[in-house]
Amino acid sequence: MLAVRDLTVAFPPARGKGDATVALDRLTLEVSRGEFVAVLGPSGCGKSTLLRAWGGLLVERARVSGEIAVPRASDGTRATAWMPQRDGLLPWRRALSNAMVGAIAAGVPRERALPRARALLVEFGLGGFEDAWPHELSGGMRQRLALLRTCLTERPVLLLDEPFGALDPVTRRRMNAWLASVGLVSQDGERAVALVTHDVDEAITLADRIVVMSGRPGRIVHEVQAHGESRYDREALLASLDA
Amino acid sequence: MTPRTRAALVGGVTVAVLIAAWEAAVRMGDLPPFVLPAPSHVAATAVGSAPLLGPHVLTTATEAVLGLALGATVGWLLAVLTATIPTTGQVAQPVVLLSQTIPTVVLAPLMILWAGFGLTSKVVLVALTVFFPVLIASSAAIRDVDAEHADMVAGLGGTRRHQLWIVRLPASVPGALAGLRIAATYAVGAAVVSEYLAGASGIGVFIQRSRKAYAVDQIFVGIALIAILTAVLVLAIVALRRALTPWQPAHARL
Repeated sequence: MLAVRDLTVAFPPARGKGDATVALDRLTLEVSRGEFVAVLGPSGCGKSTLLRAWGGLLVERARVSGEIAVPRASDGTRATAWMPQRDGLLPWRRALSNAMVGAIAAGVPRERALPRARALLVEFGLGGFEDAWPHELSGGMRQRLALLRTCLTERPVLLLDEPFGALDPVTRRRMNAWLASVGLVSQDGERAVALVTHDVDEAITLADRIVVMSGRPGRIVHEVQAHGESRYDREALLASLDA
Repeated sequence: MTPRTRAALVGGVTVAVLIAAWEAAVRMGDLPPFVLPAPSHVAATAVGSAPLLGPHVLTTATEAVLGLALGATVGWLLAVLTATIPTTGQVAQPVVLLSQTIPTVVLAPLMILWAGFGLTSKVVLVALTVFFPVLIASSAAIRDVDAEHADMVAGLGGTRRHQLWIVRLPASVPGALAGLRIAATYAVGAAVVSEYLAGASGIGVFIQRSRKAYAVDQIFVGIALIAILTAVLVLAIVALRRALTPWQPAHARL
């Protein structure tokens, strides 16, 4: 459903001197329908660049080679919805109106999106906060609202860039447990989620498959599928991160 | 006592003490009123000439308000246009910067030659003074918010038009209002100075006539009117900001 093949992304130096920064080096990765994949790696390993490549958000000066495959809607637009690390909520829109930005940007008709937005607000624990300004919401609520906005695009592929990375560890753990319970994807579903994170436990809690990336330039060094009750071998994952 | 009432009280007392000192200095120094009239004298003159002052104040207020509206609209549109189509910014920048190297007062005789003695020339002069701070503040506001939020909209499938409507236009509003708040303090001054040069009515005309009659007390009345008019404009814009940007905390709106 979602793939990169031999993807190399390099950024020329800003002032034209020195070497280009290679963010990704011949990366090949595929995400299937119904899959929740976590890309785990240290800061600066290029995992955000990977999501931006899928989301069509690479800056103009980036030098790109290789193949980027994303599903497209019938009208040729990308079927991806990207959620930034910082919530990106607009301070002049109330909560419900901020969520609706996803529907507006993706061209979902208002009469269909609005009832869905109201229902999801309740499901996401934001019931009663429809008319709150973003600055009145807690960090966890803001991230949930940003995720809700992403869901309202009705696009099958969600690209989540450290969705809870800005939160404190306790809140983050709670958010991850909640997100796992929401069930963004199901095996037989139409959706796929690619999440990048530097937090092993976040990846363990959420993903069906974990891909570990090395430091810059980013390459895949380890890949595991969840299995059984314990899902993952945490120690092995940590060891592969350190390698 | 809240800090706000305390601040207002301290400010009020300071002004009262200054006026009292002025009054005392004039009385004890035995200064003639055609050099420096006492505040009580100025107040009496203001009351006496009140019927005469109405039309003058109305003229200047009209010039200032129309000029503010015109200048703010042009400055705001230019900021939005520049953010949307960078080429327009490159075209406009030298013209804008050049316009700011020439004090607007210097342009007043030209404006009067081109647009006449009436309202138009003064409105244009006020607008010329006002558009620059609005342009700068709006541009800064758009730049501050741009990258992160524009990416967010694009990442959700939005087009450049969505970025304009959802992010850039609304982001520019608080900036434009902040610029307008600064510009409001120049607007009445710009109107009055252009009235000095030509015109049949306005606080500037009143001050010029008073000068020719050596009526120093009337000049002080004119100055006081300018201060009051400016204060009213600033307060009106603060109220406008409160209405248009209800999400902003109060301290960010002053």
